[in-house]
Amino acid sequence: MKNEVEILTEIARLIRIDVVTMIHMAGDGHPGPSLSCADIIAALYFNVMRVDPANPNWPERDRFILSKGHACPALYAALARRGYFPHAELPKLRSLGSILQGHPDINKTPGIDMTSGSLGNGISIGIGMALAGRLKGQKYFTYVLTGDGELQEGIVWEALMMAKKYRLGRLIVFVDNNEMQSSGYVKEVSSLYPILPKFEAFGWHCQEIDGHNIGEILDAVKAAHDVTDRPSMILAHTVKGKGVPYMIGNNSWHKRVPTKDELNLALAVLGGDD
Amino acid sequence: MMKTESTRVAFTEGLMELAKEDPNVVLVCSDSMLVIRAQPFIKAYPDRFFETGIAEQNAVACAAGLASCGLTPFFATYAGFITMRACEQVRTFIAYPGLNVKLIGANGGMASGEREGVTHQFFEDLGIMRTIPGITVVVPADASQVKQAVKAVARIKGPAYIRIGSGRDPVVFDNYEPFKLGKIRILKESGKDAALFTNGFVINRVLKAAEILEREGIRTLVAEVHTLKPLDVESIVQILGETRAAVTVEDHNIIGGLGSAIAEVIAEEIPVPLVRVGLRDIYPESGRPEELLDHYGIGVADIVNAVKKVVKRKGSS
Repeated sequence: MKNEVEILTEIARLIRIDVVTMIHMAGDGHPGPSLSCADIIAALYFNVMRVDPANPNWPERDRFILSKGHACPALYAALARRGYFPHAELPKLRSLGSILQGHPDINKTPGIDMTSGSLGNGISIGIGMALAGRLKGQKYFTYVLTGDGELQEGIVWEALMMAKKYRLGRLIVFVDNNEMQSSGYVKEVSSLYPILPKFEAFGWHCQEIDGHNIGEILDAVKAAHDVTDRPSMILAHTVKGKGVPYMIGNNSWHKRVPTKDELNLALAVLGGDD
Repeated sequence: MMKTESTRVAFTEGLMELAKEDPNVVLVCSDSMLVIRAQPFIKAYPDRFFETGIAEQNAVACAAGLASCGLTPFFATYAGFITMRACEQVRTFIAYPGLNVKLIGANGGMASGEREGVTHQFFEDLGIMRTIPGITVVVPADASQVKQAVKAVARIKGPAYIRIGSGRDPVVFDNYEPFKLGKIRILKESGKDAALFTNGFVINRVLKAAEILEREGIRTLVAEVHTLKPLDVESIVQILGETRAAVTVEDHNIIGGLGSAIAEVIAEEIPVPLVRVGLRDIYPESGRPEELLDHYGIGVADIVNAVKKVVKRKGSS
């Protein structure tokens, strides 16, 4: 009998297989940033979040906003495997008529709680969701996953101020700290490090974890749940392209399509889909 | 002395009536609660008021989050801070998902920005909002119309933008006039020499010009186009079929607003001569509202001349 961490680790591996396969078949997409957040998404959708795939708009459900919307292949894979829509939809990513848009779309994909992809906006939207839950007396949590690069957007800091002011204990933000953005290393493009003290200075509850360690992800969420008087940030150290060795350290995989040979190489490392 | 009544107070009054009936109605402000005279709402419904600070992008995105969970947020501040600073949030997170957020833009128009100067005179708002698919765009004539328009956009599901004024807004309708979203309103019809399409409080000037023209033997039809989107194309085409000439009068850049909307209908449906009266693609300056309108070519005499010009072109075509 596998324990919870082993089960989620296995799901994250399957999500990674889906990510590289669907981007290869679709001929477009962002593999590197999808792979860096696969473990967090697996933990959220297969353990943490109270959701009902048969009723995606259940008003009491926990919310998730993929602020770094370009990583949606990982989210689409999780939603498909969780039963929101057939797995066979995944290769239709980014094609005309597909329910899987190039970036998440609240109206086209069951399970997507908000349109996203224009960077920096997720925390503000999460604030709205958290405030609505409080006003309506609902107990759901709102989870936001942002990149580290997108924290360069000014709206992020507008949101940090407001979330603290309203003491939004049910708002939990993961920062997928893979240290890279479209044109290179975050520290070189426009450094916003260190991230954690900045959130702390804005009054947030902060934790720092290995974003590929399922046990640490689950523990951090539990700790964040216990903080009721302010919002939480979990700084997750991650690796862009995690799971596919030839993508690691090569930022061309921010947005690049694996060839058939490259796909096979990736699948050989990730193992079979069983 | 011109009678004035605050469109800002009217907004809050309309909102209060909505809030009383519907617990999902909430208000978002970005340090704009005094600007839009929201104190009565905040006093009555403190839990339903959300202050973002001076952070309009955050306010619009936050409103999107509120709406996605079943609330009906109104976000009210100066027109340009919604339509320009937070334009992308309006487009991507409210209009594209079709969320039920109502945007209220104060100081809409050069004259409503008046002595504040260009930073607070917003004469591009309607053009910007009109190019975004899925937003209802409304320019009520005066305070009583604002109050009705606020309730009218609440009855439809989906995004809406309402332009309001300075708080010292000329009254256009002395008596109660029912507001019908999406329909033009014929204000005066003395004949069919030309049609005058207009909106906002410059209607008062248009009606004066129509009287002067009538005394000179030029008979016009004056129509208020308060809903710029969706545009009442059918009624506009019908009027143009009868008058075969049109003048538009608006407190907005000549590009993008009512003049452009009517020009588009004319070009596609019924080619007739058109003269547009508005701010001619330049930046105005500070001044008293009526002075500004006169100075920048939106005076009664300018309207009269525009009609004469279009009637002449019609005769020679």
